[in-house]
Amino acid sequence: MHDIQLTVNGKAERAQVPATMTLLELLRDRFALTGAKEGCGIGECGACTVLLNDVPVTSCLILAVEADGHRVDTIEGEAVCGELSILQQAFIDTGAAQCGFCTPGMIMSARGLLLRKPNPSHEEIVEAIAGNLCRCTGYEAILEAIHLASQRMQDGGAS
Amino acid sequence: MLGNFEYRKARSIEEGCQALADAKGTAAILAGGTDLLVEIRNGLKSPKLLIDCKRVEELQNVTLSPTATSIGANVPMNRLIEDRKFRESYPALADALFSIGTYQLRSRATIAGNLCNASPAADSAPVLLVRQAAIEVTGTEGSRTIPMQEFFAGVKRTTLRSDEIVTAIRIPANSALHTAFLKQQRIKGHDLAVVNIAGAYDSDERTLQIAVGSCAPTPVLLDPIHVDASNLQAFSAHVARSVVGSVSPISDVRASATYRNAILPTLAKRIVFQLLGDKEASSNA
Amino acid sequence: MSRELQVVGRPIDRADAIDKVTGAARYTHDLAIPGMLHTALVLSPHASARIVSIDTAKAEALPGVRVVLTGDGLCYQLGLYMQDKCILARDVVRYQGEAVVAIAADTPDIARAASQLVSVEYEELPSVLDPREAMDDGAHLVHPDLHTYDHMQGVFFPKAHSNIAHHQKIRKGDFDQAFANADVRMTASFYNPPVQHVPMETHATIAQALPQQRAELWTSSQSPYTVRHLLSVCFGIPHANLRVHVPYVGGGFGGKAGLGLEPLAYVLSRAANGRPVKVVATREQEFNTLPSRQGLHSTLEIGATRNGKITSLKSTYLWDAGAYADYGVNIGRAAAYSGAGPYSIDNCWIDSYVVYTNKVFGTAYRGFGHLEVLWGIERAMDQMARKLALDPAEFRRRNLLREGDTTITGEPFTPGHGKPQECLDAVAEAIAWGIPSDPPTAPHKVRGKGLAMLHKAPAMPTNTSCAAVIKLDEDGGADVLISGVDYGQGTYTVMRQIAAEELGIAIDKVHITWECDTAFSPYDWQTVASRFAYMGGNAVIEAAADCRSQLRAVVSQALSVPADQLILEGGKVYPSGAPDRAIPYSKLALGYTFENGNSIGGPVIGHGRCIATGLTHLDPDTGQGLPAQFWTYGAHAVEIEVDTQTGEIEVLNIVSALDAGKVLNPKLCVGQVVGGVVQGLGSALWEGFVFDENGRFLNPAFVDYKIPTAKDIPHHSQQILLENPQPGGPYGARGIAEHPMISIPSAIGNALYDALGIEFTTLPLNYERILSRIRERAEAN
Repeated sequence: MHDIQLTVNGKAERAQVPATMTLLELLRDRFALTGAKEGCGIGECGACTVLLNDVPVTSCLILAVEADGHRVDTIEGEAVCGELSILQQAFIDTGAAQCGFCTPGMIMSARGLLLRKPNPSHEEIVEAIAGNLCRCTGYEAILEAIHLASQRMQDGGAS
Repeated sequence: MLGNFEYRKARSIEEGCQALADAKGTAAILAGGTDLLVEIRNGLKSPKLLIDCKRVEELQNVTLSPTATSIGANVPMNRLIEDRKFRESYPALADALFSIGTYQLRSRATIAGNLCNASPAADSAPVLLVRQAAIEVTGTEGSRTIPMQEFFAGVKRTTLRSDEIVTAIRIPANSALHTAFLKQQRIKGHDLAVVNIAGAYDSDERTLQIAVGSCAPTPVLLDPIHVDASNLQAFSAHVARSVVGSVSPISDVRASATYRNAILPTLAKRIVFQLLGDKEASSNA
Repeated sequence: MSRELQVVGRPIDRADAIDKVTGAARYTHDLAIPGMLHTALVLSPHASARIVSIDTAKAEALPGVRVVLTGDGLCYQLGLYMQDKCILARDVVRYQGEAVVAIAADTPDIARAASQLVSVEYEELPSVLDPREAMDDGAHLVHPDLHTYDHMQGVFFPKAHSNIAHHQKIRKGDFDQAFANADVRMTASFYNPPVQHVPMETHATIAQALPQQRAELWTSSQSPYTVRHLLSVCFGIPHANLRVHVPYVGGGFGGKAGLGLEPLAYVLSRAANGRPVKVVATREQEFNTLPSRQGLHSTLEIGATRNGKITSLKSTYLWDAGAYADYGVNIGRAAAYSGAGPYSIDNCWIDSYVVYTNKVFGTAYRGFGHLEVLWGIERAMDQMARKLALDPAEFRRRNLLREGDTTITGEPFTPGHGKPQECLDAVAEAIAWGIPSDPPTAPHKVRGKGLAMLHKAPAMPTNTSCAAVIKLDEDGGADVLISGVDYGQGTYTVMRQIAAEELGIAIDKVHITWECDTAFSPYDWQTVASRFAYMGGNAVIEAAADCRSQLRAVVSQALSVPADQLILEGGKVYPSGAPDRAIPYSKLALGYTFENGNSIGGPVIGHGRCIATGLTHLDPDTGQGLPAQFWTYGAHAVEIEVDTQTGEIEVLNIVSALDAGKVLNPKLCVGQVVGGVVQGLGSALWEGFVFDENGRFLNPAFVDYKIPTAKDIPHHSQQILLENPQPGGPYGARGIAEHPMISIPSAIGNALYDALGIEFTTLPLNYERILSRIRERAEAN
């Protein structure tokens, strides 16, 4: 067993975990943050995407112990005090969520992108979510949402 | 939970090597985990101990000197790709890394991990081969440098001893070297290589060297070929024939040997034109 | 509808979007019940084998293991149309990947560890992997006892002592004579491999067996009432004793239309003395164990006049049903009655065989056989056009169904069917049909254009029905109860719009309880077949009318005004010309109270229903009858660019036109089309199961089963929605949910001919196949 400390959505957390527990399991089973999903277990679908120190990662391929001392942000931390973020609102406005299962991972990949590139090009947006599989939407509305969010943020919105 | 193993953070390279040695072949180094953890999940590997060296500072460094660039074993691929200087100095390597997996995977995956996984299709290998890179490793008995051509032993096997850790990839500087990388996939989205290929044109020596992946048990480095830029059609056909003659692709679930053999000469010729296209123009001017 | 619609037809956002973008949406994957056990499965490594013995002793002895089940103790035969399936393999295994042993344990790790301690001894048997071989006399029989299975009588016809689960016949006119007399004749064969739905949420079910023959389930399903019914029939439990909840569902596409993991979860819980048991498919199991879309071999013979009129069509379909043919038999039936495409063909014979093989079994998948048969039909249309030296669009125009024509089952084509020609013309114009493409981006690339038609009616039983209930709330809002499942299509949003429209209240005052619960939500058949907007919409309209009539009755009494002089608008009821006397719904929802305290009426609860009207069984010998509640027609046109050195294909543009009848919500409708087109691209260019010569599944993971990513979508796309009303449809709407995927491969195959002059007949049109044909042709020259 390992004692770990990490920050999850801005809050300090501690846990005692076996070596074999993944970050995805830690978030879902211990912290009840079920937004991140298991879609494949091998890092190919992106449904488990969260931010690790602001960087999008597939949490199914990270051990909980590796997150010790680090910051994790999940979809549950995207809205602040119940206020949807510009990104979340854009996803609603363009109809970017159909079944919604890929949506938390998509938004986390998009959030990671906007953190490192507030004004991304179309190619950069595509590359940022190319690792998030969606079977419902055909991606157009999702790409549009991320464009829209970055525009709105440039136009003076907060985030 | 993934499999059945213990985990240990190494605070230094020496500690990592010692832990490897003590485990007598039952431990593995956990870098990005994007290959290793998948293999553990799928039952292909079952180490009893994972040793994590990601906190060892020197393994995180990228140092550029006039004679060489040294990339620490734990540098994630995205960090290199997003570094403008690195992209400018090593465009083909940056292309090769960019072709690997997804953004999320590349934020964890490392070149060292890609090489140690030793897939015949390892995308970082062909460029490192044509750049004459070397792998710096440390074991309980000291450090050594393994030339890239000697690193792969077979499918998913390297020449590392069981107590050795890769510490850095060293790429000698050579301003006369112009490199390119091409990869054939089945889809534009993330994919393993059906075939991958790198070329390096040495404008001082006037030689072209090609390395090919996914067409043999290991990536293959061909001997340098003397360049004749006066007729690139003929030269590229000659290069293509050499390439096809040097490898023996198999059929697998990804592609048939026939397709690989058909793609190879096309990619080889494209690499020739990419590297020498303007040379032909200037030599014919 | 003469009045202007306030809510229906607007691009209203989904209310569920907030749950989805915040991570609050909970899917079966996310649910946990106290005391819940976790499951691992032991799968067959063989395509066909006898189970000699199963040793579970070590597994049972592992601490934390609560139940280990094998097929021996589970003598149930399951199926909606054909009861050919058991819960766990019994006596024999029929496909590699079939579940043989199930273990329920305290944690997933323990269950998995226990599964590795099970040893099964098999005796390999002959197998049959190709439906063509399975049709031969003397072929290995996947179901030697087929003749003993219960099945839906009068609708499906399994052939005893064969691998034929069903044979659907269409016999219209005299094919032999018409073909012999045709000016131009052709024959062509086509193949679709099996593919998988790939919902992002794999199948998942939690079941709890309760005392006194009751059970409660939470399941990722499209059909809560079908789950309830089949479990009731299988286990002899009264319907009302089975409670099925469907929370948010992460994609279905037909794969979750029938029974999946529910029976297994239930028997595990029963064996665990009622502890809840969760069964979740891994992604590999989703591919290898859970059902697929059937493969199809089709052969078409077509005869036409010199003037381009098709006189005769004969089709033979061999559906690769896999090891179990439950849904497969209905696909074989539906595809047969649709087997002439949207064309008028006087002489048409179709033989559609659903054939067992030793592979993972097929089930419903978006399009229900239509993508597969239209691959052949629409490719053959282009081939015939070329033989006749006619433009492919013009050839289709000469043959499209028109008023006065009949379909191959004898159904008259009417204006209410919509306008297939308008769809064709729209995409042809948008793609600049007939005008060559711009030059390609490199000398070794070529461009081409192709188009294809599509059509489909809901493939549903003649007694398909649906009900809706609307309850008014104290605040003047409304709750709508339905059992249609919204697994991404936007069902609930559309139902809310309809309820708001019909009740005359603001949409944000209309609520639909997300989770479907058979204890409270009224019956719906299944959320499949693109019929819920139509049938559920009609049921909601009727329920709202019922509410309005109750409101009128009370207000009529309250105000002493005849009911038919009352207006319902803006959430209020008032006499015509006297809006000052309005009574808001909030004062009526629970009855009306006079000033002196007397009360009349009561809680306003309206109900409505819709049942399929006028449908008939198909004649077993001729296929004549009326299977279709409505037809939806459409067309796609595509432009592609091919790299002739690598076989890589780039999709430059896809234009799609569908005759939607009435677009109930343009944002949702366009979303369905864009998504369906990309899913169709997957089938067209990359997807297909790969088996080795022993029937072992080789690509059950995303590493080697590729679906489109954001990098793989067309450079440009356009969606054209026509509105020629459907009689009987809510506001004239017809279903469009499956249709966008259908005929995408056909259009691309046709574009490839335009670009390369090569006929492709096998899917997927992957780079390797394209290059291989290019090289073959170069070598031949």
